[in-house]
Amino acid sequence: MLILVGLVSSIPLFFLLIFGGPIQQGLIGAMIATIGFIGLVAAIQDLTWDRYIKIREMIVAMPVRPVSYAIGIALAPLLISTPGLVFFVAIALWQGFLPVSSLGWTVAALILCWAATSSIGLIISTYLQKASVYTLNSMSNILGLGLIFMPPVYYPEEFLGSFNWVASVFPTSNAASLIRVYSGQYSLPQEIVLARWLILLGIVFASTIVVSIKTKWRET
Amino acid sequence: MSTENRNPTDAVKSLGLVKIYTGKENVHALRNVNLSIRKGELYTLLGQNGAGKTTFLRIISTQLLPTEGEAHVLGHNVVTEADEIRKHIAVVPQDIQTYGNFTPWEYCYYFSLLRGMSKAQTKQSAENALKAVELWELKDRTCAQLSGGEKKRAIIATALSSDADVLLLDEPTSGLDAVARRKVWAVLREMIEQGKTILLTTHIMEEAEMLSDRIAILDKGNLIAEGMLEEIRGLTKEKFRVVMEGDTQQNELAGKDYRVVKFGNKQIVYVEDDNEALELVRDALKKGLKAEAARVTLEDVFVELVGGEQD
Repeated sequence: MLILVGLVSSIPLFFLLIFGGPIQQGLIGAMIATIGFIGLVAAIQDLTWDRYIKIREMIVAMPVRPVSYAIGIALAPLLISTPGLVFFVAIALWQGFLPVSSLGWTVAALILCWAATSSIGLIISTYLQKASVYTLNSMSNILGLGLIFMPPVYYPEEFLGSFNWVASVFPTSNAASLIRVYSGQYSLPQEIVLARWLILLGIVFASTIVVSIKTKWRET
Repeated sequence: MSTENRNPTDAVKSLGLVKIYTGKENVHALRNVNLSIRKGELYTLLGQNGAGKTTFLRIISTQLLPTEGEAHVLGHNVVTEADEIRKHIAVVPQDIQTYGNFTPWEYCYYFSLLRGMSKAQTKQSAENALKAVELWELKDRTCAQLSGGEKKRAIIATALSSDADVLLLDEPTSGLDAVARRKVWAVLREMIEQGKTILLTTHIMEEAEMLSDRIAILDKGNLIAEGMLEEIRGLTKEKFRVVMEGDTQQNELAGKDYRVVKFGNKQIVYVEDDNEALELVRDALKKGLKAEAARVTLEDVFVELVGGEQD
């Protein structure tokens, strides 16, 4: 599945290479797609699968903290997807689309995007505990693709004209825009950039709070 | 919590345990269940589907909160001291499946590491557990390449490698063939010899008969019987069974009011003493039927106690 994510993330790049287009936009999209899709889909599908095969029952009855389990569920696929991510970042650096000076901001935006999509995934799987594994898997795929291909992730937010604020609503497009700003492909006023960071952090914070309140390690 | 609930010889104790699943219709899964499992014994919970066995086991294993009552594991309250209990228990859930890409070794190794065991300890306990369930030779095969029985044994090995004091096993041998089942039995008895405590739920009466130090029967959430095998067998008035095979329509039971269960051309007649049983066998043989007498089985007693043949 994780290999497929990398391939799916690369599809728009192939189109850009074949038909021509701003490859730098596509590379940023591929980075966000890899990490955003991984965050959302892994959080939903891994949690659901663990519940379905009853491994979770074994884990709940072990000296394991719920927060360790949730972080593990989110972190494991991130580590596995790291080679793909590094590949896209390396190309962007090599081609000069991503200045070395912007690397720190890029990594920060990617980490927050992953944290936000993972938390959203955890919320969904927490609220839909009774849904079947098939329903949740389909839902996570559709949501993942929706978050990657609908908002301005593979394309710049200026395509949306006066509706460019939509980019700030989704953690994926918000992170993509921030990377574009720091790589010099797009400019936003300083206060808007700050607001975008705060929105991204807010989504992570709010989702984490909701998950920690709603999640019940032990059934009632 | 009162101190009398902390008997040092009890591994598991429940007092007035009630579990009600709320919903459109409330389901009373456990009704005032009182039982105690001593340290070092293999205790079996028997019951029909939906009798409350899994609910009891899940409460004891700190996965599910009770509605009322108390339960303790090694003296620790399952509600307020769950973290302490989790250090001492290992669970095999009912119908558990495996990660297809994990090997039995990885299961034992990583799950033991998760419990906080050192790497050296983990390697040793994983090896011991896999050897105990006779999976050592297959330790590096992925679970996708293992048979159903081998997967089940991999999960049991995972529980064993934890070195937990109390093992809570929910129908661990369901779906296993007779040979694999007996291998698991041998391992479980070995665990008891090593001082572990095991709470087992099962549908397999022979398993309960062969393995258990004590047996409890749950019916619709009520604990209806508890004791050693001989004590459970003594709970019905009939102590013997006569199995007859042949044209049993022609067989007359001398007008006596025996409890009789028919399955096609076979019938089981339950009698109170061995003389009656022998007399029935002689009569049946004279009439050309096949017949044999034996003591009632646990299954006979179980079916009688849960009212399975009231009709």
